Amino acid sequence: MSVKPASVKPASVKPASVKPDQIVVTDALKIYGGKTAEVTALSHVDLTVERGQFVSIIGPSGCGKSTLLRLIAGLEKADSGEVSVFGADPDRACAAKMIGFVPQVPALLPWLSVVGNVTLPSKVNRRADALRRTLPGHVQRDAADPRALLAKIGLGDALDRLPHQLSGGMQQRVAIARAFAIQADVLLMDEPFSALDEFTREAIQVQLLELWEQMRTTVVFVTHSVSEAVVLSDRVVVMSARPGRIEAVIDIDLPRPRRQGLLESAAVHEYEDLIRARLQTAWASGPVTA
Amino acid sequence: MSNPVVENAGTTDAALPADAIDTAVVTGATASATSLRRRAPGRSVFRPTVWVPAVVALLVAGVLWEIIAINNTYLLPRLGMIGQAIITQPAFYLENAGVTLSEALIGLLIGFAAAFIVAVIVTESGVLRRAIMPLAVVLNVTPVVAIAPALVVAFGFGPGPKLIVTALITFFPILMNVITGLNSVSPPILQVFTTLRASRLEVLTRLRLPSSLPFVFAALKVVFPLSIVGAVVAEFSAPGAAKGLGTVISVASSNSRLAVVYAAILCLAIMGSILLFLVTLLEKRVLRWHESQLLTRR
Repeated sequence: MSVKPASVKPASVKPASVKPDQIVVTDALKIYGGKTAEVTALSHVDLTVERGQFVSIIGPSGCGKSTLLRLIAGLEKADSGEVSVFGADPDRACAAKMIGFVPQVPALLPWLSVVGNVTLPSKVNRRADALRRTLPGHVQRDAADPRALLAKIGLGDALDRLPHQLSGGMQQRVAIARAFAIQADVLLMDEPFSALDEFTREAIQVQLLELWEQMRTTVVFVTHSVSEAVVLSDRVVVMSARPGRIEAVIDIDLPRPRRQGLLESAAVHEYEDLIRARLQTAWASGPVTA
Repeated sequence: MSNPVVENAGTTDAALPADAIDTAVVTGATASATSLRRRAPGRSVFRPTVWVPAVVALLVAGVLWEIIAINNTYLLPRLGMIGQAIITQPAFYLENAGVTLSEALIGLLIGFAAAFIVAVIVTESGVLRRAIMPLAVVLNVTPVVAIAPALVVAFGFGPGPKLIVTALITFFPILMNVITGLNSVSPPILQVFTTLRASRLEVLTRLRLPSSLPFVFAALKVVFPLSIVGAVVAEFSAPGAAKGLGTVISVASSNSRLAVVYAAILCLAIMGSILLFLVTLLEKRVLRWHESQLLTRR
């Protein structure tokens, strides 16, 4: 069990472009609002995610965890600092369809069937395949069969249904399958299970892990649930608010595959307590001037 | 999804007499009953609870009409006389209805195509939106009825002015609804498309256009009846020279032949109801995904 404060990281970071096997956020600063009501969403944040890792970002609301995710997704630009997704900037990474985004709500197209929704990403931006091959950070894999993918996640008998005929949990599983389907190099998930009830949530976590263990993509997962972070992740990034910053990075050293039985163990609770303690410290330390 | 914007259709009601409104009510009830039957087999048009209220309302309206008509023949013709007018020369009404209907539909098609194209342009380009929208609004607040005589002067008694008036009158409701529809895309879906770097054309065809369909149908329900209003108004402005139910009404009323006037109005009402019914049927087919979503109300 290793805990390292974020501030210990060396200040000099190599240019992001030479690291095709990492997602690197360097000294990211993001400020919202005008001069009168400034909110520092991210205050000089550094983050490194290794390829193949499952990394969760956790923190109280307003700590900038979703902002950090959106920076990596190229949905927002940092005011200063750099973001590199496997050696490419987020714009190029998106253009090459290296990023699969799973928003908080399933965001399915209501007029398309389950299969239609999952195959949609492969139908838009067809030039991405050519661009992918030119980027060193992309790992070429055979396209996933959407039907097999849906079967794996337990939707094999719902292929032709429309989204409104599915429960919330099923809809979110379709959204996850949709993100996996393009063989993206990284999946960015923004609290995808926050709207689900406890039982659905646990079931879907297990399914996500099974799928991830087979596909071995990199996942950056934003959550506000401590247990969810521990159960899923190789590494948990604890953030604190006002200004948004990284409080601690905690490696979760639990054996995989993680099945429900294992997760009752004392080690899990130890990690949970550790993360909670870190969140408490972050809370107690209060506002820090950026 | 928010409720589609519906333009004020007050003119439609104002232009139709009492029995026309009755007909519309009956057709409306039949339409909703049909849709219910498709989803829930227990409900049927043939169930008394479905058709009795409509029939009773129709009968009451008919009786009231007759009471007024018996004592004031200069005000309203007897229902029997209207029926007789149609029965004695059905071909006459059918032919004129055909003329008006084709004017209305072709005009509507022109208006629809123009409005749709403008809506797409306006939602895709901020500069063009600021240029075009004021013009469209000015066009909307100008009473099209007032333009009709000028158009007859300019384009003569042929179908030209009728198509233009119909297109103009249907343009704005379609424009506003389609603009709202094209913009009614939820941000998370747009984010997914953005991270895939879908092109603007792909976002338009795969996301915005399908999203606009519920609003398109809301607009169609308004403008189908409105297109008949447009055609009739244009015919009023160019009477005597061409065919069409508007011309029939205009000529017959100048000769005080009330039965013929109301027979033509009845034809218009039936035409409008059938169009509305067909649009509703089409909507049920196309918007299955949307209708059912409304039913579950998440």
